[in-house]
Amino acid sequence: MPSTRPTRKAAAPKAAAAPAKRVAPAPAPSKKAVVAPKSKKRTVEEAQEDSDDEFGDVAIDMASDDDEEDMDGDDESDDAEDFPEEGEEGQDMSAADIEEDEDEDSEGSYMDGDSIADSQEELDDEEEEEDESDFDDLVEDDIDPNFGHNLNEPLAPESDYNPIVREYPEIDPVYDSDSSTEENENTVGNIPMHWYDDYPHIGYDIDGKKIMRPATGDELDKFLSTMDDPDSWLSAHNYKEGQDVKLSAEELEIIRRLEGNRIPDADYNPYEDQVEFFSSKTEIMPLSAAPEPKRRFIPSKHEAKRIMKIVRAIREGRIVPRKSGYVPPKPKYYNLWNDAEDKPREEHVMHITAPKMKLPTHDESYNPPAEYLPTEEEIREWNEMDKEDRPKNYLPQKYNALRNVPGYGQFIQERFERCLDLYLAPRVRKNRLNIDPESLIPKLPSPRDLQPFPTRLAIEFLGHEGRVRSTSVDPTGLWLASGSDDKTVRVWEIATGRCMATYHLDELVTSVVWGPNKEIAVLAVTCGYKVGLILPEKLFSPELTLHSEEYLKAGFANVATGEPNPKAQWKQPTPAEFEKGIRVWVHLQKPVKQVTWHRKGDYFATVAPDANNSAVLIHQLTKHQTQQPFKKTKGAVQRVMFHPTKPMFFVATQRYVRQYNLQRQELVKTMQTGVKWISSLDVHPAGDNLIIGSYDKRLCWFDLDLSSKPYKTLRYHQQAIRSVAYHKRYPLFASCADDGNVQIFHGMVYNDLLQNPLIVPVKILKNVHQRVDALGALCVEWHPTQPWLISSGADHTIKLFS
Amino acid sequence: MGKLHKKGKAGAAINYITRNQALKKLQVTLADFRRLCILKGIYPREPKNKKKANKGSTAPSTFYYAKDIQYLMHEPILGKFREYKTFAKKMAKVMSKGQYSTAKTLAENKPIYTLDHIIKERYPTFTDALRDLDDALCMIFLFATMPKTDKIKSETIENCQRLAAEFQHYILHTRALRKTFLSIKGIYYQAEIKGQTVTWLVPYQFSQDVPTDVDFRVMLTFLEFHQTLCGFVNYRLYSDVNLVYPPTLDLKLDEGGAGMNALIIESTQSSANIAKTVNQPITTSAVAASLSKEEKQRLQESEKRLKTLSSKIARIQETEDSTTTTDMDQDADSAMDEFPAPLPNLDGTAAGTVTFTDIQKASQHLTHFQSLFSNCVIFLSREVPRYSLEFILRALGAQVGWDAVLGEGSPFDENDDRITHQISDRPTQGHRFLSRQYVQPQWAYDSINAGKILLGDAYSVGKTLPPHLSPFVEAKEGDYVPDVNQFEGQTEDLAIESGDEDEDEDEDEDEDEDEEDADEDEDEDAEHKDLHQIELEAEAKGVAFTEFEAKENKKKAKATKASKAAAETATSSAPATRSAGKKRTAAEAEAEEAKELAKIMMTNKQQKLYTKIQYGKDKKAAEVEKLTKKKEQLAKTAKTSANKKAKK
Repeated sequence: MPSTRPTRKAAAPKAAAAPAKRVAPAPAPSKKAVVAPKSKKRTVEEAQEDSDDEFGDVAIDMASDDDEEDMDGDDESDDAEDFPEEGEEGQDMSAADIEEDEDEDSEGSYMDGDSIADSQEELDDEEEEEDESDFDDLVEDDIDPNFGHNLNEPLAPESDYNPIVREYPEIDPVYDSDSSTEENENTVGNIPMHWYDDYPHIGYDIDGKKIMRPATGDELDKFLSTMDDPDSWLSAHNYKEGQDVKLSAEELEIIRRLEGNRIPDADYNPYEDQVEFFSSKTEIMPLSAAPEPKRRFIPSKHEAKRIMKIVRAIREGRIVPRKSGYVPPKPKYYNLWNDAEDKPREEHVMHITAPKMKLPTHDESYNPPAEYLPTEEEIREWNEMDKEDRPKNYLPQKYNALRNVPGYGQFIQERFERCLDLYLAPRVRKNRLNIDPESLIPKLPSPRDLQPFPTRLAIEFLGHEGRVRSTSVDPTGLWLASGSDDKTVRVWEIATGRCMATYHLDELVTSVVWGPNKEIAVLAVTCGYKVGLILPEKLFSPELTLHSEEYLKAGFANVATGEPNPKAQWKQPTPAEFEKGIRVWVHLQKPVKQVTWHRKGDYFATVAPDANNSAVLIHQLTKHQTQQPFKKTKGAVQRVMFHPTKPMFFVATQRYVRQYNLQRQELVKTMQTGVKWISSLDVHPAGDNLIIGSYDKRLCWFDLDLSSKPYKTLRYHQQAIRSVAYHKRYPLFASCADDGNVQIFHGMVYNDLLQNPLIVPVKILKNVHQRVDALGALCVEWHPTQPWLISSGADHTIKLFS
Repeated sequence: MGKLHKKGKAGAAINYITRNQALKKLQVTLADFRRLCILKGIYPREPKNKKKANKGSTAPSTFYYAKDIQYLMHEPILGKFREYKTFAKKMAKVMSKGQYSTAKTLAENKPIYTLDHIIKERYPTFTDALRDLDDALCMIFLFATMPKTDKIKSETIENCQRLAAEFQHYILHTRALRKTFLSIKGIYYQAEIKGQTVTWLVPYQFSQDVPTDVDFRVMLTFLEFHQTLCGFVNYRLYSDVNLVYPPTLDLKLDEGGAGMNALIIESTQSSANIAKTVNQPITTSAVAASLSKEEKQRLQESEKRLKTLSSKIARIQETEDSTTTTDMDQDADSAMDEFPAPLPNLDGTAAGTVTFTDIQKASQHLTHFQSLFSNCVIFLSREVPRYSLEFILRALGAQVGWDAVLGEGSPFDENDDRITHQISDRPTQGHRFLSRQYVQPQWAYDSINAGKILLGDAYSVGKTLPPHLSPFVEAKEGDYVPDVNQFEGQTEDLAIESGDEDEDEDEDEDEDEDEEDADEDEDEDAEHKDLHQIELEAEAKGVAFTEFEAKENKKKAKATKASKAAAETATSSAPATRSAGKKRTAAEAEAEEAKELAKIMMTNKQQKLYTKIQYGKDKKAAEVEKLTKKKEQLAKTAKTSANKKAKK
């Protein structure tokens, strides 16, 4: 009977404490009618007790041992307690019908085939037997002499204990008296009853016969029955039997207790005192009869080991005995620095001390001058700005008294940011240049000391109707020739600015150059595919004209004998052209861009960039012969130039300038300009220096003796440089560019080889020519004897500055 | 052929190490590394070529100097960190097992590290430490006002308060305070300690609301270091002026809100004397011991002390004053003895060289400044910030008393006859003592910055205060210098001034011209004779004609206004003059052109630098212009409003 055991044990001390209870439920024979549902059990027990009484007569010495008596008394009380317990339990069980059923079912399953009554009986029998055996023990030990008397005494009504008693019909204790056998118990077990919903029966009885579903009334009946029966509210539906069962008071009590979250059993004490099996009291008899093991009597090796470990640790000082009254050590300060011995840290490049915080300025004041206060717009701007972009992390504010100044909300954040800066920000040593920017500007000699140079516009030559691509001043310095996109070449008198002659040609004139020889008056003109030599008749003295005429004619005699050169054909002009002044035509294969004279005036070179290998041709005027100096040209030739004194020849391709020796027919030098596209080239009259202008706005000065790299590269024009020119006599050079400006430099070349040329910008002539179609000033030319500058531009004008 | 150099074996590639590499090398967590960096003062670097430093990768990363990290490997603290980690593990284990006695033993043997060696390492000399004291002080003064939170322990706050008070006491004692500034962020103080200027910022004493976006682990690590530094510096400072360190904390006074005064400063020499007056033998050791005694005992002690405190303070102050004054007198005497007063004729000698007179003057000025308020007895009303005012006033020799609301320990009360000034900050002052001046707090700060006791009229209670300017700003050429005067008067002045200046210039020029004329008249003949000769000589020497001319001009008119103006325009772009819309003279135009021409010959590098500098200059000038414009605008509005009032 496992279910009863714990309760019995638990109930034991209670019973001991209140012996009155023991008797309280003890049913007197007279009260049998009012006994709990498991009356059978009870009756059996009572019978047993009766029998005990009988045994009691066969009593044994009771006062044999006090201790034992105590214990046994406990035991006894256990048994005695059974009555109320059992009784109550019985009541409870009868009330909680479902549980009981389950129990019974489970027990029933053990005794297959037996009827419930049988099982019940057997169960009772078992208990009886057990009880009997218990009692047997008791009998052997001792029994409270009052025990029997107590039982026999009439029931004393207990004020505090009034169990609810259910009345059951009187049972005649004869065979088959148990009515339960007649009941139709459903044996389906604990299954969901809805499985039987579709069947007419609701289960099977103990014999395997169907138990038919009892008739259920319709809703009206139900309602009527609820209305009729005042106790209908305390009835519950038993699904297993398909009937409504009225709940008893005890069952209601259980439900009430469950609802109240209390233990259903009113008498159950969850906080029972503990039974001390191993108490401080010495027992006479040991709990175990085993002899004491040996290890109890010999020292532990393990412990010895552990102790030795500690001892060793103490000896070695690893464990320091605890000091009494442990105090956490406080930071102790002492004189850390010793001035005599301290050496300051050596300066090291990699050691950068943290910069100090910036000191506050006026606008951080709590009461700054009013002009420091931000306007509304500034405040808005500041608020809209990202936190990182703000120049200052605060907005100036004004408080009229110190008492009005609030705490600064960002204080901790700012300090935190400083902390972050200190350990997270990379430190870089930045040398702040504390120099006057003016000191960066080089100290140059004053332009006034470098006079003369042209400073102002003297004459404007008007008349051309197209871009004036090229100008040239004749060696005497009296006449100016200009070639233009309007297909004319004009010759002007420099002194007056009068146009003395106009030559109409059939193509754009790209280049106009006077012959350098004063004895021969000849003007070389490039025009489309041909080069023309013009003799301006009326400008010079008759002797000179005649001499020049002969000089120009002389070649034709030679040509007649030789075979014609396909690359350059020397031809006589038509009579109409001759009338104009044109004396010789040289027809080339490709358009000619530039013509340049040798210093002696016999040879001239032409550049036709499109004609690959024959881009550069050198023509001899007296013999009407043409040579091709380079079998192969490297890159597109931009400009060529004869050396002013030596048999040298300069060829400017797109990026390089090459110097050739014409006599030896070899390359002397290649100059690396470092520019993208050379536009113009000029050689210093002494022959040792060279300037080039480039379309990428640069001007490079080369010292031919010094290096193949530029001595100076200047970038001052805003647009592509179109033309550069040295003055023949004065230490001057000029450049003009598409921005319309002309820049004049003092470029002194010293005879002393150790002294570098001196370059000083002396004048900027601004907006000399208007920009037309992205072109400005196109050509600059110096007067051969005077410090005058002639520039021509896309705005059809030629200007002379003096 | 030179030796082949392998890539990544020298230079930036091995000089720098990324943060992750450093972590791997040191085998520490990021958090530990951060703490190490903070404590050891290691900071990231910016290599010139990041790609080279990062083994060819251009991924963004933080670089450290490889040697810094190498040194970190031998750092004892690193070992302690590891020990602590194992300790924490052990502790967790033991606690989870519930072995509390073992836990106790463990806790007692908790690894503790000290930062002494780091302080010494980072600041090999005391001067170095002083130089880096700014941040430490700011931090300590901030945490002294912080509330206790789950992260900030109350002991930390107390320690900070103590360190702050100690430092302030030192400043008081040595009168090292130089400048103060009331900013919107807090109060700036600047002191000069052993030749080093130390500036720190103290927040206004309101309860700080602790922000959530601040990582207090970082802050507290910094604070840990700063506390140690400050402690050692304080010790050194105190011992240098023969004071006992640490000073005793008077608990009674501390509880009474005495603040700074709760510390009892004792001289190592006079401590015995003081002890007699207290009727209790307090030697330095006893003082130290008393700290560790029971609370009750200490309270009793402090009570006893309190009884005699006022007299004691007065006595100390007297002795202090007398000693300082005597010291000063002695100094002055000795100076007078050793070096006779310099002759007045020598005053006008070269400004560039520092003469003995200058030094002497400076020292005299300093001694005067240090006893600025020595004749003042100042009472603080209850609404003024005593924590600041008491400090700055006493730091310059004033005797300060305060309302009982502001804390215990005031040496005198409001009714005292000696009081010369009362600082109060209220709209109106009800009862007034006739014997004293009532001024607003700004008076004290402005007086210190001005180096003299300002007249109290401008600062009297209820009056609109003059603007409070930062003493830290050193006006350079071209900076905007605000005028302290009020607008109404100021604008008039401005107008007059501008007019005057022009006139003055004109007059000057006229005068100069006159002089020139006169000179010329006198020397004309002689000059005409000589000039040609001199020119020839100069040419022979190779002097350019213009230079020669300039020289001649200089000779003629020593320093005429015209040349000055020319020089000015030549040296500075002078946007102000240009904006004034004056017509350029021919000379100016020429000079400008010459400059433009000269710019052509600048190298590319120089050109870039020049434009950069010019940009900065222009920006600054624009700012100044903005301020001046604003000021003029304000003046205008003020004037019109004044006129309206007058009309009404």
